[in-house]
Amino acid sequence: MSLFSVLSIGASGMAAQRQRAEVLVENMANAETTRTPEGGPYRRKDVVFESSRVASPFSSVFDAQVDAVGGVAVSDVVVDPSDPERRYMPGHPDADANGYVAFPHSNPAEDMVDLMGASRGYEANVAAIGAVKDMIQRSIDLLR
Amino acid sequence: MQYPPAMLDPVAGQLEKYMDLLSARQRLVASNIANADTPGYHALDIDFQGEFQNAVSGPPGIVEVSGLAVKNDGNNVSLDRESRLLAENALRFQVASALLHSEIQNVQSAIKEGSS
Repeated sequence: MSLFSVLSIGASGMAAQRQRAEVLVENMANAETTRTPEGGPYRRKDVVFESSRVASPFSSVFDAQVDAVGGVAVSDVVVDPSDPERRYMPGHPDADANGYVAFPHSNPAEDMVDLMGASRGYEANVAAIGAVKDMIQRSIDLLR
Repeated sequence: MQYPPAMLDPVAGQLEKYMDLLSARQRLVASNIANADTPGYHALDIDFQGEFQNAVSGPPGIVEVSGLAVKNDGNNVSLDRESRLLAENALRFQVASALLHSEIQNVQSAIKEGSS
């Protein structure tokens, strides 16, 4: 049984939550963006989490022992397909013929709550790594 | 335990098995925490008392935890439960490793006292 592979699981959780936070912050930063390289207003993005096997240097040996568990990974970043929000701003350079500007369909409150969730998830994974690190240290101390 | 360690007390073998089980359980707890936001993921655990009493060698049986509230996305990981288990396992491991350490210290002192 390897305690070291548990560190990889915790790290995978940290990486996934960090990526989620990145996407959420990008959404908030672009809440008023009307121009993108793809054309049109920014569209909010969301991550999809999927449980996965973690790559560990000795994984092949240990996979044989405990088969069902693993870490987490971001399997996909999905783009919100909902229609942009239209605001009447005739003076805006991106206004259409009727004077309406397409703005991203964003919900900063929702993004903030999600961001807090990501932050808590990250902390929980850090705590897991800390606990396992302590167990490894104690195993090493048996030799002292 | 089929192999009482030659130099150590038979208890040491039990302690080793106990620490192995704790490691396996900690792995599942870490996996549950990592997947706390994965849609459709179900929390996993080992039947701890049962496994230890069986004292079987080989990989422990993994079961889904029952009786947890399932969220809208089909995930039933409770971070409170996992945090508690994380701390509990770490403390149990601490106790077991301290006991094993004292067993090893006994043998070491026997070796050292005999040498002079």
